[in-house]
Amino acid sequence: MWSRKSAMLGSLAIAMYLLGLTLRNSQLVTIAVVIFVFLTWAALFGGHADVAATGRRADEWSGEEGSALNSVSAMRKLSSARIFEDGELNITLRMQNHSSLAKILEVRDRVPEVMRIKDGSNYILMELGPRRETFIEYTVECPLRGFYSLGPVAVRIQDPFGLFHKEKELHVYNDFLVFPKMEDLSDTFVKSRVPKIFTGAVNIRQPGPGSEFYSLREYFEGDSFRAINWSAYARTGKLMVNERERDAVSDIIIIVDSRSVAETGPVSRNALVYSTRAAASLAKFFLSRRDSVGVVVYGDEVASVDRDTGSKQLYVILTKLSGAVARGNIPLQVVVNRILPHINKGSPIIFLSNLEDDPTIVNALRDFRARNFDVTVLTPSSLEFEFDAHRIDRTGYEVMKTERDVLISELRGLGVNIMDWEPDMLLSTALAGARGF
Amino acid sequence: MTVNRPSSDTSHLYDGKTVRSSAPSRKKIAGQLGSGSDIPKDAIPEVEIPSFIESLLGGPLVPKTKFLPPAKMVQNLQLGVYGILVALSLMTYMISPAEGTIWYMITGSLGIATIFQLILIATATGTGFWGTFQRDGRFTLISNLLFILAILRFASSKIMLSNDMFGLQDKPFLLSALVVVYAVLLIMYFELTNGVMRYSMLDTSIRTNEVYVMNPQKVVGKYHRSLLINPLIATVLATIVLSANTILPFIVGIFSKDTALRMEESVELISVYGVALGTFFVFCIVGGLFALNLPTHLQNFREKRAED
Repeated sequence: MWSRKSAMLGSLAIAMYLLGLTLRNSQLVTIAVVIFVFLTWAALFGGHADVAATGRRADEWSGEEGSALNSVSAMRKLSSARIFEDGELNITLRMQNHSSLAKILEVRDRVPEVMRIKDGSNYILMELGPRRETFIEYTVECPLRGFYSLGPVAVRIQDPFGLFHKEKELHVYNDFLVFPKMEDLSDTFVKSRVPKIFTGAVNIRQPGPGSEFYSLREYFEGDSFRAINWSAYARTGKLMVNERERDAVSDIIIIVDSRSVAETGPVSRNALVYSTRAAASLAKFFLSRRDSVGVVVYGDEVASVDRDTGSKQLYVILTKLSGAVARGNIPLQVVVNRILPHINKGSPIIFLSNLEDDPTIVNALRDFRARNFDVTVLTPSSLEFEFDAHRIDRTGYEVMKTERDVLISELRGLGVNIMDWEPDMLLSTALAGARGF
Repeated sequence: MTVNRPSSDTSHLYDGKTVRSSAPSRKKIAGQLGSGSDIPKDAIPEVEIPSFIESLLGGPLVPKTKFLPPAKMVQNLQLGVYGILVALSLMTYMISPAEGTIWYMITGSLGIATIFQLILIATATGTGFWGTFQRDGRFTLISNLLFILAILRFASSKIMLSNDMFGLQDKPFLLSALVVVYAVLLIMYFELTNGVMRYSMLDTSIRTNEVYVMNPQKVVGKYHRSLLINPLIATVLATIVLSANTILPFIVGIFSKDTALRMEESVELISVYGVALGTFFVFCIVGGLFALNLPTHLQNFREKRAED
């Protein structure tokens, strides 16, 4: 393949040659011929080789063995296929030269744009000896959740003057998953009001067998003596017993707004990033309490993870959250209508959204409240993200902030536990704020 | 008397009105805020569109990354450029007499044309020096263009010298060889100035950990070897190609001496068209070799030989 340099030299030579012929000027023709010869020599014997010329087609590569081209092959190994945001991934690229000639190769391993090379380099210029292999190691930092793919490996061989080159993409791909970062939560203040048939570790707001204090009541026959509150008896002169909050497994539904508007703001600081991190943290917390957690992510479609318990469920949820892409504009009402018949009455519902561009939000949350669901809304403020990024001016910010406050007040009036989640606020603080602490 | 009880449901307040229950989209509002209706500049991602010249050259003329102080390899290349630049400027002066230059065509005065030509060569040399010293692509590009402009001759002529200190004017072969050497020097000047930039970029990238180079000595060594071998080979090959008008009669002479003699004495063959014809034949052969995928076969041959 011609480089721009060789193309320019070639054009110059042709121009001089034609001008020389037109003007019958042998000097120009001579110079043109020398340039032609120089280019021809570089093209014929410049050392660019067989990576592309005799290589097999890209689709012939065979799985784990890597792309076996005629003489150069590549394989890649990752330290892990799943990491969390801000985690590091060690990548080892193995380059092999099956030829009996040494080659000077330019190798660039394609890394997703959002990744940062922390150590080593993914761009290597090397001389690979005959029948030799080399290992290239580098580390990338993964600041954003998502499904990512490493590859292809671009290999280039060119002559020493950079006049002609041959390029080939070795189609060696490795997929990996970056889970959203999680915050450790000590308490979420979210409790179910509805018991389930088997007991667990979570308190629901009804008296029953459990460990947490619920209230005092008078002693009835059959009550255990161990439940008698002797200090209350001394105070009132009546036998009083401690009632305990009933332990049970609760259903928690987390709804994540992944519409295109959720990505308003900088790439690393927007409502969707905050929502997915919050959803992951909450899921981890509830699952560690042996709750049953379900997640609904909606954007251009409604995607849900059925309620379940256990660490496996956490990975399922994290995977779903990793793949959440800001797309579409499905109204919340559609989501509510779809999931309402399938969730237990009274289950806590946590809704994560920036509350923008959806006129159905109030009615949808009213539907939840009307059926006695305990609704908590954490709303990362896109306004703050954009104001911090200097994308909106002060006046616009104030106007829109007022509109947002009105909406939040209206939702609060419906009995929704809502918190305007500002960018620097910890999730636990936002949750406590939402629950009125 | 009917008493309206306060209700937590405030929806009745909006009966009959258009309710917008959410703040407008930021993207939408971005176009409506501020003194004008322009979309704020920072709301649009920065896209750098290369200029025509930049796209032609394959990158910015002024690199965004400032070069680190030159490494020894780059310094050596710079010294090489200075040497070639001196030789090139002297030879440009020698083989481009004022007659036939664009200045002579415009002004019609040999004196003025000579002055212009000298200024042109001096400017090309000066900008070349400065561009190489500063490692600034703009100056080296200007220098390259000025050298090309200096050598362009808009007149029908054989090779002429402005200063024939070695008495080459009467020796056509040596005169042709001089032009060949000049052309090789010109190409090497282009290459070396480009090499200074390329290796400065590479050196900076290595030192800033953008690129990792394994066995840099071998990579650089190959370049050094090419700097010596390629010009030599180009000189020899170009001489052979340019001698096609003498080689052709020689070959024809094997079959018919009379025809060969007529060819040797033919005005067409010893003129510039003869050179062009010879060149045409040679490059037809080269084109044929390329069409037969000779580079690949050569590579296979080299690999097989290395295996044996």
